Amino acid sequence: MLQATKLTKSYGEIEALKGLDMTVEGGDIYCLLGANGAGKTTTISLFLNFIRPDGGTATVCGLDVTEQPLETKKLLAYIPEQVMLYGNLTALENLRYFSQLGGHDYSQEEYRDFLRRVGLEEEAVDRRVKTYSKGMRQKVGVAIALAKQARALLLDEPTAGLDPKASNEFSELLLKLKSDGAAILMATHDLFRAKETGTRIGIMKEGRLVDELSTGEVSHADVEKIYLQHMHAGGHYAQEGAGSA
Amino acid sequence: MKRIIISHETRQLFRSGAFRALLLLVAGALAFAAFSGQRSIDRQVDGAMAATAFEDAQRAKMRADTEAYEARLAAQGGKYEFAGARHAPGAGPPQGTNAGVVGAQTAKYLTLPPTGLASFAVGQSDIQLNYVPVSMNPTHTTTNNLELENPLNLMTGSFDIAFVLIFLLPIFILAISYDLLSSEKERGTLAMILAHPISLKELLASKIIARAGVLVASILGLGLVALFAVGTNLDSADTWARFSLWMAATLLYSMFWFAMAVMVNVYGRNSAANGIALAGTWLALVVVLPTLVSLLATTIYPAPSRMELTVAARDAQTDAEKTYMARLDEYYYDHLEFIPEGDERATDFLTVAMANRNAIEKAVRPLYDEFQGQLNRQESLVQRFQFVSPAIMMQLALNEVSGTSADRYEHFLNQAYDFHARWGEYFSVKFLQRDPLKPADYDQFPAFEYQEEPFGTVLMRLVPSLLGMIVLLTGALLIPFLRLRRYQVATS
Repeated sequence: MLQATKLTKSYGEIEALKGLDMTVEGGDIYCLLGANGAGKTTTISLFLNFIRPDGGTATVCGLDVTEQPLETKKLLAYIPEQVMLYGNLTALENLRYFSQLGGHDYSQEEYRDFLRRVGLEEEAVDRRVKTYSKGMRQKVGVAIALAKQARALLLDEPTAGLDPKASNEFSELLLKLKSDGAAILMATHDLFRAKETGTRIGIMKEGRLVDELSTGEVSHADVEKIYLQHMHAGGHYAQEGAGSA
Repeated sequence: MKRIIISHETRQLFRSGAFRALLLLVAGALAFAAFSGQRSIDRQVDGAMAATAFEDAQRAKMRADTEAYEARLAAQGGKYEFAGARHAPGAGPPQGTNAGVVGAQTAKYLTLPPTGLASFAVGQSDIQLNYVPVSMNPTHTTTNNLELENPLNLMTGSFDIAFVLIFLLPIFILAISYDLLSSEKERGTLAMILAHPISLKELLASKIIARAGVLVASILGLGLVALFAVGTNLDSADTWARFSLWMAATLLYSMFWFAMAVMVNVYGRNSAANGIALAGTWLALVVVLPTLVSLLATTIYPAPSRMELTVAARDAQTDAEKTYMARLDEYYYDHLEFIPEGDERATDFLTVAMANRNAIEKAVRPLYDEFQGQLNRQESLVQRFQFVSPAIMMQLALNEVSGTSADRYEHFLNQAYDFHARWGEYFSVKFLQRDPLKPADYDQFPAFEYQEEPFGTVLMRLVPSLLGMIVLLTGALLIPFLRLRRYQVATS
């Protein structure tokens, strides 16, 4: 569904991605782990065609995102760290606008239903979203993805800063989307959620994918251990990192 | 797709209090400008009518005198005679029979009729009055006493619709589009939108269409209201043709400013930087460059001052009067026995005075031609340099459309000069031949009817300004179009 082949991207002198190869299949929740600057957001931006790759290809359902950006964006949904909406519109109006941009149109009731399914309180639906908490906005973001009937989801640290309950609710929604057969690529720092919700975990470091795990085969402790090993290996802290791990 | 964004953007615009306030402000400014433009044109039309009525009454009175005289002769018998010029009324033929007196003491007011759209752009018409007096006096006196207006008013120009369009409309346009993309980027909604099957080009175009749509509807609506409120000759095709051209020029000018907003936005700076860049652009194009061009024109082709012209005219007059006095004194000294009685002497006076006027005209003419020539050269320099700023092109186009351009005025003045010659000749010949004016002759006085320029000429003069704006607009659109692919949606 989502496939990166030898994907490279540099920002001036800095090489953000150094030949990334990865695949996310339908029904997968692929969690990208890695330090800030490892290339997670760059990967997602490349899939969205927000930036152009210097080399390699990113495809969605077999379509190259640079050659058919509009076609691939019909298949994609994007939930950033902060779902930003039009503050002076209500949740329903925001949902309707973004759905229409995606080429869908539903009845008033169907829109309400989407918002109900993501667990937005009934009374909030017709309130302007500038009064919303982050958790509420993330829910609207998921509703937008649901309404778009996206085949692939790109999530960039969507649960950062959410309280545990909201974070848990968000994970529940991801599992629902997964069961519908969507391919989900999520950048995150939350090792616990990654193991809990994800089906696969990719660890990125300095623009490379250094390890891939299936969450079914490892424990929480293993995930943390492997992650830290990779973080300490190589680079300036190679020696002491290897010693302490 | 685009329709969705357009209607969304339009709704967003109207939800913003700032936008509604701005729209109201523009509407208010336009309404006031229309009112002020109309007042300015009305003042001229009223002035022309009052002056014409006064002079016509003078002539009507003279004619009535000749009619009474003719009737008296018919009753009592006698010859219809020529009256010598005199200042005190007396018996004998009335002054109305003397062509020299009628031609010298009454003036014919020629009027440049305002077009239907005259109140839209007052242009220079506040210093170039649309009515000029024609008498047997030298030509320069025809356009001499025109600066009656408050000088401060002349300096700042009048607050007409053209002013609102040229100065205020860009501010309105920039205020609603300076943060076209930057605000979405800063708010974070740009990434949300572009995650959907919408290209940046489509998004930009839709946002512009929404804003331009609101603006065009407002301008067209307000323009029509203004036309019905202060326009004239609404049943004439000319007025509507002019209104269409007015609309076209306004559209081009508006689109140029939208294009500037787009251009600045595709460079991806933040809203504050965009605002400053656009404010600078406005200042440069609307204020600084037009001032520089005007400065250039008056520096390269400085017009001799009106004062100089007036002083030269006075000098020439004094000279002529001096030689006249000397000559007359000399003449009477030598031929005391020829000192004519009363009327005869006065007649001579008028003859010599007329000769003097010729002398003055000859003396002043070169200076006057120089004055007019410099003004024309200034004008044509501005015409040539108009392409540096859309504001200059717009001003020239609006003046042209409203019929207040320098060229139309010159066209009128040339007709006025021709008429001046015809008028002077008619009366001086009759006077020199001592041919008494009969009541019926009053109907034979040369008549003036302003010959409007063919509309094609107006169009031809509009072409450079409109074409210049089209070229500028194309350029302003091309740059962002080429630059757009380099726009960074995500910054990292």
